[in-house]
Amino acid sequence: MWSFIIRRILIMIPMMFLISIICFIVTELQPGDFLSQYLENPRISPEQIETLRRELALDKPAYERYLIWVKNIIFKGDFGYSFSYQRPVVELIWERLGWTVAIALFTIGFQWLIAVPMGIYSAFHPYTISDYTLTVIGFVGLSIPEFFMALVLMYLILRLGGTAVGGLFSPQFIGAPWSWAKFLDLLNHIWLPIIVVGVSGLAGLMRIMRGNMLDIMGSPFVTSLRARGLDEKVVKRHIVKNALNPLVSIAGMELPNIFSGTIIASIVLNLPTIGPFFYNALLNHDQYLVMTFLMFIALITQIGNLLADIALALLDPRIRVS
Amino acid sequence: MKKWFFVIAVLAISLNIMAAEFFVEDSILTPDTKPKWGGVLRLALASTPESFLLYGTLDSSAYTVIMGPMYSTLVEMHPVTNEIRPGLAKSWSVSSDGKEVTFFIREAYWSDGKPIVADDVIFTFEYFVMNKYARGNSIDRFTIPDEKGENKMIQWVKIDDKTVKAILPSPYGPFFTVLSHVYIYPKHKLEPLVDKNDLGSVNKIWLSNVDPKEIVVNGPYKLVQVITDQKVVLERNPNYWKVDRFGTRLPYFDRVEYLIIRDAEVRLAKFMAGEIDFMAIASKDYPMLKQQELAGNVPYKVYATQPNQPTPSPIHISFNFDVNDPDLKDLFAKLEFREAMEYALDRQRIIDEVFAGLAIPDAGLMLPSNKAFYNPKIEKIMRNYDLKKASELLDKIGLKNRDKEGYRLFPNGRRVEFNILVQSSPQEYQDVALIFAQDLQKIGIKANLQILDASLVGQMFGAGNFQAGIRAFGNQPDPQLRKAIWQPGTQLYYWHYSTMDKNATPPKPVFENMFDWEKRIWELFELGQIEMDPAKRKAYYDEWQELYHIYLPVIFVCKGMNIWGINNTLGNAGLTQDGMIVFTVWTVYRK
Repeated sequence: MWSFIIRRILIMIPMMFLISIICFIVTELQPGDFLSQYLENPRISPEQIETLRRELALDKPAYERYLIWVKNIIFKGDFGYSFSYQRPVVELIWERLGWTVAIALFTIGFQWLIAVPMGIYSAFHPYTISDYTLTVIGFVGLSIPEFFMALVLMYLILRLGGTAVGGLFSPQFIGAPWSWAKFLDLLNHIWLPIIVVGVSGLAGLMRIMRGNMLDIMGSPFVTSLRARGLDEKVVKRHIVKNALNPLVSIAGMELPNIFSGTIIASIVLNLPTIGPFFYNALLNHDQYLVMTFLMFIALITQIGNLLADIALALLDPRIRVS
Repeated sequence: MKKWFFVIAVLAISLNIMAAEFFVEDSILTPDTKPKWGGVLRLALASTPESFLLYGTLDSSAYTVIMGPMYSTLVEMHPVTNEIRPGLAKSWSVSSDGKEVTFFIREAYWSDGKPIVADDVIFTFEYFVMNKYARGNSIDRFTIPDEKGENKMIQWVKIDDKTVKAILPSPYGPFFTVLSHVYIYPKHKLEPLVDKNDLGSVNKIWLSNVDPKEIVVNGPYKLVQVITDQKVVLERNPNYWKVDRFGTRLPYFDRVEYLIIRDAEVRLAKFMAGEIDFMAIASKDYPMLKQQELAGNVPYKVYATQPNQPTPSPIHISFNFDVNDPDLKDLFAKLEFREAMEYALDRQRIIDEVFAGLAIPDAGLMLPSNKAFYNPKIEKIMRNYDLKKASELLDKIGLKNRDKEGYRLFPNGRRVEFNILVQSSPQEYQDVALIFAQDLQKIGIKANLQILDASLVGQMFGAGNFQAGIRAFGNQPDPQLRKAIWQPGTQLYYWHYSTMDKNATPPKPVFENMFDWEKRIWELFELGQIEMDPAKRKAYYDEWQELYHIYLPVIFVCKGMNIWGINNTLGNAGLTQDGMIVFTVWTVYRK
């Protein structure tokens, strides 16, 4: 098991290198650079632009900048400097990480809590009205863009006289010390982003669960369980447990999806997460911030996959051996 | 022991108050007779301020929080009338030759109790305003030519702790206007943070991660909390130096909370829900909000006010005099062509359709609300929409023949066709371009829209790489502040870059490439800059406005009105009879 994990981690290192090169090229391909917006400002003289260009190393060739960047990451743990915030990139991302992770985990929890029972129910009642209804609900959720659902829900809330218009807290609780009232206020707000972000993933999870279960229901081992006269409840438990395996393996992919796929929803819902911040960095040509964010997503994907593989290996000994 | 300490502290504070020389805020800003103290004012910001040092950043969220709420200037511009009035300087005197201005600083204190002194002013100028490595410096505004035409910086000299003198190379007309933008910072807090061997270090102090306790202010509010991407909280500065006309110390609110909301629709929703007290409204939202206001049961009012702010900038159309296509270059240089283009511009349709009626046509270089400089004569010079006249003018300059599709041809048989470069946002620019291009088609000219990302478009304009374009530049209270745009031979005179020698440092005007009227405009700016008599200055800038409207280096389209939404519970906030908005963070209160 340990050698399996170590092998996987060793593979991640060259992968991250490759990804860093791609990230760099992609950001370089953007038209313009950070200073282009300064040209619009009549107060900035050409000499000043030149000074800044030198300061930000924008006068150096691209490959040189890449090498400096990578060198600093490896030897100093320094992911570069945000042009617009004038602060280390890592510090800025760190500030926004807490809520990002919290919302991602809440959302995954929500998806699993809803989608897995939905899938199980559908599989035990295949091709019935209730199966079709759940499927339709799942697919509608999948096909409505998140930002649109967010806007519609917020509009409805506003119309019905509610006040949970975006954000995670009412203004008076932002920055206040934790209290029971603050926690209740959070509950009053957080359901909206969880639903908006989570609903889109429901259909996929539910269909996978349903499909797995139907496959397993027809498999010989289920027949043999039944033939031995096992209680139907026990048989069902075995079916569900086996059907969960493939779900675990895609759970690793869900994490980065929720990090990166919800940028627009986060902007609309005014969530203090990394998404909107990344979007702004892209608009500002804040190169190192963008690259670090992309690297971060790549790393999360890899870690997610690793965790999923470990979980799978724990669930299914055959994988460990092979 | 504790008790004694408390008594001494109270005594110290009250002595402080007694010694202070207050500024009495006028009744335009405090019309209500029974204002109340206390409460929280909620405003919106689009992003976390990058810095709390004005001169180290170019971030509009930082500007919003610093300029007015946190910091004050030596002289102020009245928020409604734009008149110059005392600020941290209680008075000043100007020498008879107009080259020395002595400021007398009022008895006022920083939020940490230290007196505000001449050293603070000198420090602010030396390390921030005149520091060319500071991102937000304004050296250009304080460097003017002396009698020999040589550019020299304005010098600041300390007379005593409370007196400071500015020595000007020559009399400088807009001196007080530019000074009203210089926010004074505390030397005693900042001097230890500046690395004197690396003046660029000023860009790295007081960033958004600073401990709020370190920030000492001279404005109505001091910083207490920054929660990244969520909220910025300010608290009353007990040492603020203004009182209302009833003797009550300002500001009225205990706290100001800026909610950080990136998305405009969410900001609007929060305003409608009463979570935000005051904000700028986009013109597209005005009809809906006004309707709801009239229907009743909403916690707010919306006001469309006379534009009196530099933003949003008025839109203009430009034709590149230096375009590398010889036919077009010839064409664009003809005044009749540019006149025809103005006749083909349907301003009223643009105002109605693009701005929902909320814009004024007669604004470009100066706003009509700017009584100090606006020249109403331009309204008579401006050419109103008339396609027939446009066609006649085009016929007159030899573009009579047309091809099979009805487009006009140059004498050499080539179709008259050019690209209009527009950035993809804001949407209004594209809409204006589209309406203009439609009208051009009616008079036989093919205009192709070239819509690209804003930063790319900025670069193309900056490099003179365009044929025709649509873009917007701001007004300012004083035309001299926009010299770098409207004076030929300057870095933003982008439609005629050959009037500037870019390789000289600093860039120099190239007179032989200027039209005669451009030479006159250049001269007018030079004259207006060193004239201290307001009437003479106005005459110079009147002529400048007329020249722009006669010769059309660019064609101004219109300027959107400023629209504001105000929560019903705010007092001392609303509209004056002239249609100007009344709202400042130190005079509003909760009814």
